[in-house]
Amino acid sequence: MITRELLKVVDVSIPAPQYVKLKLDAGKPMENLLPGMFYELRAPSQAGRLFKPISILDVEDGCLSFLIKVVGAGTQAFTQVKAGDGVEALGPLGNGFPGIEGRRVLLVSGGAGYPPLAWLKRESHQAEFCLHLHGCASADEVFPCDLIYTADGSRGSKGLVTDSVESLIIEHKIDLVLSCGPIPMLAKMADICKQVEHYVSMEAYMACGIGVCHGCAIPVDQSYKLVCKDGPVFEANRIRWSEL
Amino acid sequence: MRYIESALGRLKLASCVTVASGTFGLEYFRLRDAAGEPLLPQESLGAYVSKTITYEPKAGNPSPRLCETECGLLNSIGLQNPGLKGFLQNDLPVLKETLHIPLIVSFSGSSTDEFCEMITAMEPYQEIAGFEVNVSCPNVEKEGIAFGADPEVIHKLVSRLAAITDKELIVKLSPNVTDIAQMALAAQEAGASSLALINTLWGMAIDWKTGKAMLSKKVGGYSGRGVKPVALALVYKAAQVAKIPILAMGGIHTWQDALEFIYAGASAVAVGTANFIDPGAPVKIAKGLHDYCKANDIHIRDLIAKVK
Repeated sequence: MITRELLKVVDVSIPAPQYVKLKLDAGKPMENLLPGMFYELRAPSQAGRLFKPISILDVEDGCLSFLIKVVGAGTQAFTQVKAGDGVEALGPLGNGFPGIEGRRVLLVSGGAGYPPLAWLKRESHQAEFCLHLHGCASADEVFPCDLIYTADGSRGSKGLVTDSVESLIIEHKIDLVLSCGPIPMLAKMADICKQVEHYVSMEAYMACGIGVCHGCAIPVDQSYKLVCKDGPVFEANRIRWSEL
Repeated sequence: MRYIESALGRLKLASCVTVASGTFGLEYFRLRDAAGEPLLPQESLGAYVSKTITYEPKAGNPSPRLCETECGLLNSIGLQNPGLKGFLQNDLPVLKETLHIPLIVSFSGSSTDEFCEMITAMEPYQEIAGFEVNVSCPNVEKEGIAFGADPEVIHKLVSRLAAITDKELIVKLSPNVTDIAQMALAAQEAGASSLALINTLWGMAIDWKTGKAMLSKKVGGYSGRGVKPVALALVYKAAQVAKIPILAMGGIHTWQDALEFIYAGASAVAVGTANFIDPGAPVKIAKGLHDYCKANDIHIRDLIAKVK
């Protein structure tokens, strides 16, 4: 059931420059949510603007957590939110990642793509093996994970998160790759992981969030699929990357 | 809702508030509020206008298809739709089962014959109460505005369609024309039973940092708050010459916006971009208009085209 309601802010923090973490009281136990699912959220000061699609970071005790990267006015507004405020929310939306039970999993996130993979990592006891790589610009964007890659070398390995994916897949006999991040990173991942089952969580400009406006279409198979309704998680090899 | 009952040509509307084609789907009726109640009871709408269909299925335009600007929304969807056959086989049965308000089907063709073939195929379906002839989409090459920018072309097309259908025949006009009054008169003389305006305005957004256009097709259709004054002026101009009712849309977000369009000459209004921002907007607008009319003991029809 998709609801549109005002969710009370329980906690706000700035875990890194350009990021804000929100914990919202869902007012009821949240069941059947999967990593990769998202909400359309709007800060109080953004009345009259479109919602922003934000991936769920965590669900616990009837609360939803989100880690939001500040990229424009709509996301900047979340940094001004205070505990006790109401955030407009439409959701839960989207399909979510497939299960990792008994699998040998490689989780790969880049920048703002961190939340769904961090959630999966917390459930990694279900997997036979699980390794989470996170890549970002600098030490400022580092969040808890197994291996970190920074473009400027200020933390972890210097380079891109995709650099050692190929060898890690072989070394750890990976049979499932799940990734989320900027499109150039995902396209690179799709190229590297052609022989392994690989799912990506996509982001797109979005309006309605529920499959009505057809604004968030991406090229999949021989047509277009909607990130909000058919995704955001897609099999990587079905996306026509060269058209993105 | 008796204070805001209205009508388009042959179609009675229990509420003068409807939704704009392409901005609404049955999905909205399934949304719930915090208490688990429907966010948008369909009774608050006078009619349901479906997303434009074309004869053949259309995949739509490449992404990105959307960009929110300072004061509105740019889109370049490109009429993505399942085509006439897909609509009749898969979508229409679901619409028939779900809706208990009138269904208006929006459609567009790439030739006059194709428009005629489509309306002929749909005419027998009792669940369709009316048609919105889309001659104004700015985002496709062959359909849409290719038909809506020339009064002679509009007249020829609408004359043929009017001869085929006994249902409500709404012609949706484009704002991207030199003289809206000519288009409105052409549609009226050809037998349209009402007019809808406006479709989106041509619009564009560019990222100054990269010089890159924000839409894949570079130019798209502009809707939302920023278009309201333009839409009001065009509805007013059309209403000055047309005797047939007008279904108005263009930046309607509140009941006060809707009331302004009624004053300008609209018999009914459609909520479009506002659905994406506030999925409960049509209900609030209908309730707001109803409460205003009740408090002032007037009927909405007494205010149509009464701008001073």
